[in-house]
Amino acid sequence: MWLGIDVGGTFTDAVIIDKGEIIHQVKTPTTHDDLLQGILEALDQVLREKTNAEFERISLSTTIVTNALIQGKLDQVALLAVSGPGIDITDKTPVKPHLLAGYIDHRGRETAKVAVEELEGICCQSTKNSIFAVSGKFAVRNPEQEIEIAHYLQEHVNPKHITLGSKIAGTLNFLRRTNTAYYNAAVWQTFEDFAAAIEDALVQRHITAPVYMLKADGGTLPLETAKELPVEAVFTGPAASVLGIMAMSKISVPAVSLDIGGTTTDIALWKDGGPLFAGRGASIDGYPTSVRAFRLKSVGIGGDSLVQRVNGQIKVGPMRLGPAMAFGGNAPTVTDALLALGLISHGDKNLALQAMEKVALPGVTLAETARQAAEAAAEEICRAIQAMLDDQAAEPVYRVEDIIHEARLQPELVVGVGGGAMGLVSLVAKRLKLGYEVPPNAMVANAVGAAVAKPTMAITVRVDTEQGRYTVAELSISKPLPQRKFNLQDTRELAANYLTARAKRAGITADKIEELYTEEFNIVRGFQTVGKIITCSLQIKPDVLAYLGNEGRNHHD
Amino acid sequence: MTNKPLGLVFFPAFDWAISKTHPEREERLLYTRDQIVEEGLLDLPEIREYKPRLAEYKDIERVHIGVPDLSSLLTDAHLVSAGSVITAAESFMKGETSRAFALSRPPGHHAMRMVHGTRGFCTVNVEAIMIEYLRQYYGIKKVAIVDTDVHHGDGTQDIFYHDPDTLFISFHQDGRTLYPGTGFMDEMGGPGALCSTVNLPLPPGTGDEGLHYLLDHLIKPLLSDFKPDIIINSAGQDNHYSDPLANMKITAQGYARLADKLKADIAVLEGGYSIEEALPYVNVGIILAMAGLDYSKVVEPDLASLDLRQPEKNTLYIKKLVSDWQMIWSQRDKLKAAAIQKTGDFWQRRKSIYYDDSGIRESQQEKVRLCPKCHGFMTIATESEGYPSGYKSAFAAVITRNACPACAKAAYDAVWQAKKENKFQHYFVQDKQQDVLERLS
Repeated sequence: MWLGIDVGGTFTDAVIIDKGEIIHQVKTPTTHDDLLQGILEALDQVLREKTNAEFERISLSTTIVTNALIQGKLDQVALLAVSGPGIDITDKTPVKPHLLAGYIDHRGRETAKVAVEELEGICCQSTKNSIFAVSGKFAVRNPEQEIEIAHYLQEHVNPKHITLGSKIAGTLNFLRRTNTAYYNAAVWQTFEDFAAAIEDALVQRHITAPVYMLKADGGTLPLETAKELPVEAVFTGPAASVLGIMAMSKISVPAVSLDIGGTTTDIALWKDGGPLFAGRGASIDGYPTSVRAFRLKSVGIGGDSLVQRVNGQIKVGPMRLGPAMAFGGNAPTVTDALLALGLISHGDKNLALQAMEKVALPGVTLAETARQAAEAAAEEICRAIQAMLDDQAAEPVYRVEDIIHEARLQPELVVGVGGGAMGLVSLVAKRLKLGYEVPPNAMVANAVGAAVAKPTMAITVRVDTEQGRYTVAELSISKPLPQRKFNLQDTRELAANYLTARAKRAGITADKIEELYTEEFNIVRGFQTVGKIITCSLQIKPDVLAYLGNEGRNHHD
Repeated sequence: MTNKPLGLVFFPAFDWAISKTHPEREERLLYTRDQIVEEGLLDLPEIREYKPRLAEYKDIERVHIGVPDLSSLLTDAHLVSAGSVITAAESFMKGETSRAFALSRPPGHHAMRMVHGTRGFCTVNVEAIMIEYLRQYYGIKKVAIVDTDVHHGDGTQDIFYHDPDTLFISFHQDGRTLYPGTGFMDEMGGPGALCSTVNLPLPPGTGDEGLHYLLDHLIKPLLSDFKPDIIINSAGQDNHYSDPLANMKITAQGYARLADKLKADIAVLEGGYSIEEALPYVNVGIILAMAGLDYSKVVEPDLASLDLRQPEKNTLYIKKLVSDWQMIWSQRDKLKAAAIQKTGDFWQRRKSIYYDDSGIRESQQEKVRLCPKCHGFMTIATESEGYPSGYKSAFAAVITRNACPACAKAAYDAVWQAKKENKFQHYFVQDKQQDVLERLS
């Protein structure tokens, strides 16, 4: 029995899933000022209504980190950057960094040393219990300098927390790692307090089930591990929805999914049974980070989107004035149009027709007006889908093969969830000339997603046989190779071993390991091959613990 | 100050090499990729990355004549590389970008009009293909090319040698000391285009100081006199002090400042084979400079330990080179008129061309009609021999864009006549007015 809790913008939903079925669900108002309160209310309601519940796991998709970032409730962080030669990052990070001497080059070789005198200066400015983020260029190729700085800080200022850029992500992009390390450090305390409060509350309620936090990549982390990487818990709402769709719809063909909310529709693309990831990482407050997230596009059309007439034309969204008139609002909305058309049944149809009257032209029937409004909304969504497919096809690739055998994603199915405007899905699908599915319980997709999301974890191993060394950045490992000859297969095995061990330490089973990317290049000196550079990045891929039962699944061709 | 980004087409062709240990191999831009990605350059709003399109054979045939045909000489990588340059240029022409940089491979500036194989790592001339594309579709006329590769851009020179609308300036390590062994001052263009080819051979050991003296006192003034519609930089990076194939002393800062001053509309990567020590820094420097960003911190890690001052004799030589060229340039109209008068109706030369990568020797006879009404036409008789390509021959005519009807007819007549005599295997007319490469059979 799994409990999933999703903290949404308006409601906090909780669902209990047992043997692949939703056996219970509750809804409580989200308490933005104190998220914990709303979460515990949902939990207590579940416990009251299901007294025999025995949870194997509890997973949370919360806005705790997102809120802290949006509201700017960030701790003061000393950001130390070993930036070396290259771009000047001074004005490119959320806070002004202390630039330190030292450099690791692209092969992971130290070409300039860290100057301890500079650290003394910074330590003098820092008070006890300060929070630090340390990020070095090419630290993923050799984390020694970041570690050296962390050691120094530990010895001299007794810091409360240090985030190392190389542990955040094993992939290249110093600027993103630096931003991510900063944000991670800045929300560390907030998350730490939240996690402690959750743990306390569970102890009080005699719940011993392990707690997992949902991440932006649709995976979960055990609470204990999440404490070190709180920034990963940003933007989990859309991730929860995508996971929910995965569990409820078991998409096996190229597809588009829509999560239609009150004001926006989140679009995701699906290929090979899984959602596509964003090429690089999420942006926080306009700063690019290395937080992995799904490739999502948000368009300003939802159930509550205002329907109005501008210069004689029906215009839909992105404005929202309030709920649909069918639900007591004052202005016509997309939901009113769908209800007037009979595409949905919930709500007061007479009020919906009155809503259409407000935008109807003389001599045009209310049904026709409703159709125009709904089609306008669907058109807007279709345009966003098209733009997303175009963007995906325009993503640069670096191999001749990939240009010649370019495969543009051709969706074959539309899947829709979300409480906003379910009727819209059929209209979008019709425009795209595709079949569509609306899974039952689509209203609680997010909570379901949280409940069934499997843990994920990634690791990057880089081997340089000329130097005879390898690096595992996320684990702060830089070691001699066990043997001189080391090939791609050896590297894969090494990476798999490290990933499995890392997962095990965090209490995660590494059953489905997926290759994110591999690269193998020769190193040539003169006209002799003198070594190889091999990079292998593996992940325990985002997946669901179970697919929900298919009874009542609505498929339309 | 413009708010448009730099357009960047980055195409490292990680799955293409001339051969496994050839300098033009898979990982040539690996370390550059590492540096660009690690610096986060692709995330900056000042830089917009484009995915390259594939060039079409039609785009390539606007410039090249392949013997026996282009498709048997090219790989897909060449279509992508040429497409990269076109994509970069189009982003600029459409006004989406302030300038554009095609950081792609394989390179092209040693590829001449007539193609029998691969020479100097180049099979097709990606800049020339792009230039003729812009002329065809965007109405560009006057083009200036500044070739900053350490090797003489003999292919580009060959293609535009008789075109007075293309100013080709190349500085390079002296041909007596380096491949391809050409690019001397007296190669100044055909009589009808005299002084639109400017060769600036530099002695080995020339550093940033000499390069910038040349730029400030000669290249920049020439460009402002010529008033091109567009400036192209053949941005080879092998003048770098660490390049294994050449002997110059230019630094990443030297190259970045060059990009900053030159303000090329479109830059195209050419050579540069110090793939670890130079390319990551030189490319980041050029990208930042072209994007209008601060590049002052882009410095090679080993720079402080090196002495890169150029010998005094280089300084003196370069000063003389500059003043000699200033003199020639100031009299260019007079020199051109005299050359045309001296030549008469036709100008011809014999050329011997070696394809080092394909092991082919070609001999060519080029004959140019100097027409008082137009840019005339040209015929090329070519024969080559190599292993395993064997013996190949062709006769071709090139009809210029503004050729008069008489010249256009004469060009066709010349090819039909050659065909009648049946001395060659293949017969072509590259007709720039009709925008076709016609194979006569």
